[in-house]
Amino acid sequence: MGAFEYRQAEEIRDAFTRHGVRYLFIGKSGAILLGFPDTTQDADLFVERSPENGAALVAAIRELGFELTEAQAAEILRGKDFVQLNNGPFDLDLVFAPDGIERFADAWQRRIEVEGFPVCHPDDIIASKAATNRVKDRESLPRLRAFRDYWASRRRG
Amino acid sequence: MDDVAQARERATWIEEFAAAAKRPLRIRMRYAFIKTYRPVLDDEPFRAFDRMTDYRAWCESALPGWLGYGRV
Repeated sequence: MGAFEYRQAEEIRDAFTRHGVRYLFIGKSGAILLGFPDTTQDADLFVERSPENGAALVAAIRELGFELTEAQAAEILRGKDFVQLNNGPFDLDLVFAPDGIERFADAWQRRIEVEGFPVCHPDDIIASKAATNRVKDRESLPRLRAFRDYWASRRRG
Repeated sequence: MDDVAQARERATWIEEFAAAAKRPLRIRMRYAFIKTYRPVLDDEPFRAFDRMTDYRAWCESALPGWLGYGRV
């Protein structure tokens, strides 16, 4: 399996749109979509937790080529907080309750659209990483905050 | 790090942000996403955790510290 590519992000966007999945790119992959120059391994998606969205999600990720057993699909449908998929054409982390963000609806209201990709606002990406408080996040936060300020200044013109 | 060094580092970051902003998203992504083997983390095709606290605890207990998934 190679690195995650733009084409695969497009496939996610298109499959999730077809199935009506409500989701946002989050984490460093979301920041990269917004323009943050850094490296990461996989794509992280913040997915709205609801029975309808879960069913749509399972259908969409199967269509993308992820090999989910019935038991694994049932785990997603039951509403886990975090699912790690290494059983498809690329690695994908599904986050249903990211640290530092209270409700999906709030993040959805603040989302940024980049070439049709729904992305968490940089403030939400930073809030999530700050709340997670991992070594690797703490190291990247100062640069990510500087990027947020740069990104905001460009949007203001 | 002193104030001068911090200001210099921030100026370097801004230059990097400005350079990245000139590249199309497709190109930015080509350089941003890398694939290297992560021990333990990449060894199972599927994992699911009921709560984020369960996932964080698993990261701390199961993953090598140098991967950076441990909490500060």
